[in-house]
Amino acid sequence: MFRTTALAATFGLIGTFAHADTLTFYTAGPGGLADALADAFQAETGITVNVFQGTTGQVMARLEAEEANPQADVVVSASWGSAVDMHDRGLLMEYLSPNAAAVPDFLKHSHYVAQGISALAMVWNTQSDAPRPSEWSDLTDEAYRDLITMPDPAQSGAAFDLVAGLEAAMGEGAWELLAGLAANDMIVPGPNAAALNPVLQGAKAVVFGAVDYISYAQAASGETIEVIVPDSGTVIAPRPMMILQSTSNPDAAKAFVDFVLSEAGQELVAATWMMPARADVEGLRPGINDLNVIEVDEDAVAARREEIIARFNETVTNR
Amino acid sequence: MAPTRFGAILMSAKGRFEMLRAQSVLTTLAAAALLILVGLPVLFILLQAVFPDFARGSFAGAFSKLAILTENDRLMTQARNTLMLAFSVMLGCLIFGLPIGILRGLFHIPGARVWDVVFLIPFLIPPFIAAIAWMMTLQPRGYLFQLVGFDMGRFLFSFTGVAFVMTLNLFPLVYFAVSRALEMVGGRFASAARVHGARPLQAFFLITLPLSIPAIAASLLIVFAMSIEEFGTPAALAARTGFEVLVTGIYTRLSDWPIDLSGAALGSVMLMAMVLAAFTLQNWIATRRSYISQTGKPADLEKADLGRWRWPVLGLFALVGMIGVIIPLAAIAVTSLMGTISGGLNWSNLDTRHYQPIFQQGSRAAQALVTSGWLAVVTAFATATIGGLVAYIVVRGTGRGRAVMDGLSVLPNAIPAIVLAVGIILAWNSPYLPLTFYGTAGILLIAYIGILLPYPIRYAVARLRQISGSLDDAARVAGASQMQALRHITLPLMAPSLIAAMMLVFAIASRELVASIMLAPAGLRTVGTFVFSQFEQGSVQTGMAMSVIAITITSGILLAVNLWLARQGSSAFSG
Repeated sequence: MFRTTALAATFGLIGTFAHADTLTFYTAGPGGLADALADAFQAETGITVNVFQGTTGQVMARLEAEEANPQADVVVSASWGSAVDMHDRGLLMEYLSPNAAAVPDFLKHSHYVAQGISALAMVWNTQSDAPRPSEWSDLTDEAYRDLITMPDPAQSGAAFDLVAGLEAAMGEGAWELLAGLAANDMIVPGPNAAALNPVLQGAKAVVFGAVDYISYAQAASGETIEVIVPDSGTVIAPRPMMILQSTSNPDAAKAFVDFVLSEAGQELVAATWMMPARADVEGLRPGINDLNVIEVDEDAVAARREEIIARFNETVTNR
Repeated sequence: MAPTRFGAILMSAKGRFEMLRAQSVLTTLAAAALLILVGLPVLFILLQAVFPDFARGSFAGAFSKLAILTENDRLMTQARNTLMLAFSVMLGCLIFGLPIGILRGLFHIPGARVWDVVFLIPFLIPPFIAAIAWMMTLQPRGYLFQLVGFDMGRFLFSFTGVAFVMTLNLFPLVYFAVSRALEMVGGRFASAARVHGARPLQAFFLITLPLSIPAIAASLLIVFAMSIEEFGTPAALAARTGFEVLVTGIYTRLSDWPIDLSGAALGSVMLMAMVLAAFTLQNWIATRRSYISQTGKPADLEKADLGRWRWPVLGLFALVGMIGVIIPLAAIAVTSLMGTISGGLNWSNLDTRHYQPIFQQGSRAAQALVTSGWLAVVTAFATATIGGLVAYIVVRGTGRGRAVMDGLSVLPNAIPAIVLAVGIILAWNSPYLPLTFYGTAGILLIAYIGILLPYPIRYAVARLRQISGSLDDAARVAGASQMQALRHITLPLMAPSLIAAMMLVFAIASRELVASIMLAPAGLRTVGTFVFSQFEQGSVQTGMAMSVIAITITSGILLAVNLWLARQGSSAFSG
């Protein structure tokens, strides 16, 4: 990363100079959180954090394309499976932060650790004519005909985990449920934001399988929506944070991971309405212990990914 | 080629040598620029398509990915849908852009310069924002329903709806190409036809319109290429109806784990093949006969007055402006001013709080505006320079590589921006390069210039085909060197097309999204990436607010430039 200097001097007016006091951080949203973490970390350590923020797909595509000459030091993705895969390919550096002691065991690994956690939920527009649902299966009712949206499991890792989780919990019943939703004219318009937008305006009434923290934040800002987590259970989507093996600056990277897992860092995570990874930091919303979490075997599910998506497409989107 | 070669004969041997040298220097420069900006990323995409592990530095498993071409008929459906959509959008662009383009080219339209800026606005709106704006307007309980009690969701979420929204993004290409070309053809040929007894409409359809065919074909080629590459609109509107195009599949391969660079590259190769076929067809149309209308003879350049047609014509302009510009712009502005989306169109829901994050002192939004601003300006000048040069060599040059250069220059429009960005990463982030722009804002310039080069090249090539080479020769006979002839004769004649293309380039570069997301160095934000991340986080209103600010600033700049040009006297810039 030192070889850029000559041209960087010409073109890098606002570009990045890589030296000992900078860290490159690739992260899936929320962008506000990445900036807040970067600013607070810089204030504490003097190390500048250059943030690249995109969707998990964009972050991963960029990492993949840069693989011959990696640029990032620390990465946060919204899909636990991506960390498993990168570890299998030997791309991650082993590091377990001392601050991870308060993170529950199932949310950490020798090479990656949760930054925060979201859960999958139903999001209901309280002004809609449709009644308030309380269970996933309620949505197959005639009252919700043509009023349901769902994020596309092919584009949202969390929605994929939900399908896999429901299958783990209900077996064939999960596919009957999805077929029932399809028969009820559910639409699958794209990633999370695309599924939520029609519900905000009222074109649709309920999101089946929305990432919850975005909706909690919007409800807090006055949108008339309610986040409903079914008692029968849901899946959680922990967001893995990892240091790349190729980092040229391991000490700063470790310090950054430590900071994100510090109480101050976890407070910033909590402020986005996610669940903090640390059990001893209070969230703004119901935490893991308040939810009936469906366990998903990430390795087994990842191996069946294509099969599950193909079946989803066959059952729901008719592709 | 013009037959006049007295100049060459009269020149000394030394002079002839200098002419050849000047030409070969220009050709080398243009070829080098094209190869670096376009050829390099395309080459790396091809390598990635052939070698699945190329990004990891391995050449293993060559051609193993080709299986996806035969493994399912979903791909064939996507290819068919892609072509159907592209042809529908081309047709739509002719319906929307051709009539007003013709009128603008041949008649005095009140406020012509202002209309030009109005019809540039669709380029200032990122396509995915336009799609969301239309969605929020037409979907059930959208703004239309809230205002008048019915919605048009069934229309919008259909093949026709997708084609309609994409047409509105692209029709100005036809408008600008046609109006500039007709300005150049002017009334002289039509007058000659009239003298020979043709009725006005006959003269128009038999003489004036055919002479502007290169420009129309060139703009339709860009429309074709852009509609097979466009992702935002089909993704936003058509995904729910199960209507898939090739680019949808390409994005799916790049958007979720595990990432399939190779499959995406292969899909892009299919798109490139389609565009090269369209390019060959367009080239055949444009070169099978002469379209020269600019021979240097003094011509009456005065445009006709509309007379009693003034108000109906203005009405047509207003209608197209209403549908293509005002409605989406109003939807964006209204959304940015809503306290909550679910609160709907109520005065009590009017709230400017979503603008606050943008106006905070030293905010990232302000940085994004500055970054996009200077990137767009530099891109506009660079593309016009390189594009003008390439066009000059393609049309006037004698070298053998001209057709290759021409074809190369059209490829960036065919490759989905995200794939081109991957190609640029593969090419410029190689560990073997001694120094590179990657990781600096310079890489964005390289991407923008590469992506937007087709505009000035297509526009300028079409224009040059209308300018007779004998004008150059006359200047040479009169003692001018080749460079002097280029500077004083050809360049001023090309200027209107280049300026129109520069404005397009500036508009698009100021809000480019997809390549920016992939290539912007960590820490650097552009308007497009800022807006997109606002949408992702769920602050739709702040995203819309940023769009409003960016559109206002950019269209203000374009209007100022246009008015300044008008004050300079259009004589300097029109044929």
